[in-house]
Amino acid sequence: MRLLALGVDHRSAPAPVREALAFDGPKLAQGLDTLAESFPGSEFVILSTCNRVEIYAAGAAEEVPDAEALREFLSQFHQVPVEQFAHHLNIAQDEKAIAHLFRVAASLESLVLGEGQILGQVKDAYQKAVQNGTVSTILHQTFQAAARVGKKVREETGLDQGKLSIASVAVDVAKGVFDTFSDKTMLVIGAGKMGDLTLQHLKALKPGRILVSNRNLERAEEAAHRWGGLAVPFDELLLALKEADVVISTTAAKEPIVTYEQYVRVQHARSNRLALILDIAIPRDFDARIGDLEDVYLYNVDDLRAQAEQNRSRRQKGVDPATAIIERETAACHAALRHQRHAGIVLRQLGDHVDAIRQREFEALCALRPGLDDADRKAIAHMMSRFQNQLLHQPRATLRSAASEPTPDHPPHSLLNAVRHLFGLADM
Amino acid sequence: MDRLTVLCFAGTYGLALASELARFVVQGSVRWYLTIGLTALGWLVQTAYLGNLALAQHKIPVTSAVESQLVLAWIFALIGLYLMARAPKGTAVGLFVLPMVLGLVASSQLVSQRGGWDEWGSVTRFWGTIHGLFLLAGAVSTCVAFPAGLMYLVQSRRLKHKRPPRFGFALPSLEQSERLNRGAITVAFPLLTCGLLIGVLLELGRRARLGHPGLGWSDPKVVSASLMWLVFAVLLNARLRPSMRGRSVMVLTIVAFAFLVFTWVGIDVLDLPTAHGTAAPAESGRKLP
Repeated sequence: MRLLALGVDHRSAPAPVREALAFDGPKLAQGLDTLAESFPGSEFVILSTCNRVEIYAAGAAEEVPDAEALREFLSQFHQVPVEQFAHHLNIAQDEKAIAHLFRVAASLESLVLGEGQILGQVKDAYQKAVQNGTVSTILHQTFQAAARVGKKVREETGLDQGKLSIASVAVDVAKGVFDTFSDKTMLVIGAGKMGDLTLQHLKALKPGRILVSNRNLERAEEAAHRWGGLAVPFDELLLALKEADVVISTTAAKEPIVTYEQYVRVQHARSNRLALILDIAIPRDFDARIGDLEDVYLYNVDDLRAQAEQNRSRRQKGVDPATAIIERETAACHAALRHQRHAGIVLRQLGDHVDAIRQREFEALCALRPGLDDADRKAIAHMMSRFQNQLLHQPRATLRSAASEPTPDHPPHSLLNAVRHLFGLADM
Repeated sequence: MDRLTVLCFAGTYGLALASELARFVVQGSVRWYLTIGLTALGWLVQTAYLGNLALAQHKIPVTSAVESQLVLAWIFALIGLYLMARAPKGTAVGLFVLPMVLGLVASSQLVSQRGGWDEWGSVTRFWGTIHGLFLLAGAVSTCVAFPAGLMYLVQSRRLKHKRPPRFGFALPSLEQSERLNRGAITVAFPLLTCGLLIGVLLELGRRARLGHPGLGWSDPKVVSASLMWLVFAVLLNARLRPSMRGRSVMVLTIVAFAFLVFTWVGIDVLDLPTAHGTAAPAESGRKLP
């Protein structure tokens, strides 16, 4: 058995090389079909994302294309000279290829450590290969294990915990304060890029109402139109603040636009309801003392950035435990594949052995009873065949099941050896 | 069934708590299912224990302080189980619920084994049971309000200090905790009021029958219960006043819970002189054995 992983990623190759080798849209199915036609008997999965292009090939050692053949395939398929990408290629074989796939699924190889998209992309690549009929035993098992390992790593190490961008940290903070957003009002003060980006993330929470206020009413109306909100004249800002549960402020004002005293009055008018203020302007738009008010949670851009940094370092701490899980799972998966291959060989040998006996005995019977007509011969051959199948059904099922359960230190299952000895089959 | 002891379900709740505490080191669905499974098992064992008690005594087991406390723990465990199962798997509701359940079970073993209403006349026994049931329901609501208040305070502190949630220690949003707390307080107040009023009427009836006070107005149980009612009245009032929201209300909830614990268990544990729950007034003012 051989398993080969070959491809480029964001570390090994610059974007133009990745783009040139990408299997976008219909190219993916075409690529899989071409591989299946060129290398019959092998299994293939192509993982193509914006950060990586990888081909996973598996099968019997003599049938699986080697790295050279896959390089040629990439070159011909994309019409790119080999020299342009050959030195960017990462190649891993067998256990290392499994480990690589697991690391990819667990997002250890991602640009953003712990990002959630890659696991879905791995599953998607596998599904597409299944649809194209280029997956069999080895890659079925390996990719299903990769999906399981990716989930396990995230659950047990917290590698995906905490957001890394300011805008997504703001969403996390909002979720920490409020439960539902359909009855909440979001107010955006200013119409800067950062405000746009933050609102873009917060809009996913489906707020009930969006208000936009800006010194320039036209720009406010433009932004309000873009976000499906309502523009509020800047001189009515305090009234808008009274309505707002979540405030995103991004003006370029030199002085705070809302003083402590003003917000105390606002908060009194809104019956001290919970309020979240995301002051991402520099200099700040809200007096820092507003954050001391009991039910007001005031975050400035430094607070959000610091939280993103903390999340980043926490994710980093999850790398060692994640690596340990992957090492363990890789060994188990590799052993299971090896056992299955052994089981397959033993089962094939067993089938051949019994077939030979059946054939020999049938011919002996025909020689002893030359008067048997064709109908009788057929009936006897059919009976012998059914007898053989029924006799071997349970041992076959037991062997398959035993092979799929790896033993603690991954030695071949003792049943396989027992069957070989019992039936006098050749050693592998 | 007779081999079922308090230790059986308390131990199971303890294991559930250990599994919940393991969330700081072990993540994943298995640990979550284990916690929920153990809590459910503990609750089922406790149900069997209380059912056995009810069958043996031919009455609802709420007429003595010990029984009431166990029933309180039983109802609270069920509510807690629901909250734990309903919250997302990463949310640490169990860390607040399970110690409460264990605390309630443990405190039931600290209160004195007095006769309760059984030794009284049938009319008093009936109203005594109603009095007990109202206070029990009020106590359940207070027990729900307390962890909700605690979760609010912890979450509020984290947000005020601009800290990201600790791995494995996510909490419900402030709004969720506040909603739970508010609902529980709103239910608790009328129940406690009814329970206390029936208690007062029972005492007045007793005085009229015996010609002397059985339970003085200065009895620690009476004073503590009155103060608890007062705190609840303030809490309910606070809901309508914009000046008191959020953290202040949560702190007040904790004070109310402290009064509840003191009234229910503290007086017994501290061995304060009370005539509450006795068949006749104690000569020395100390409670009867």
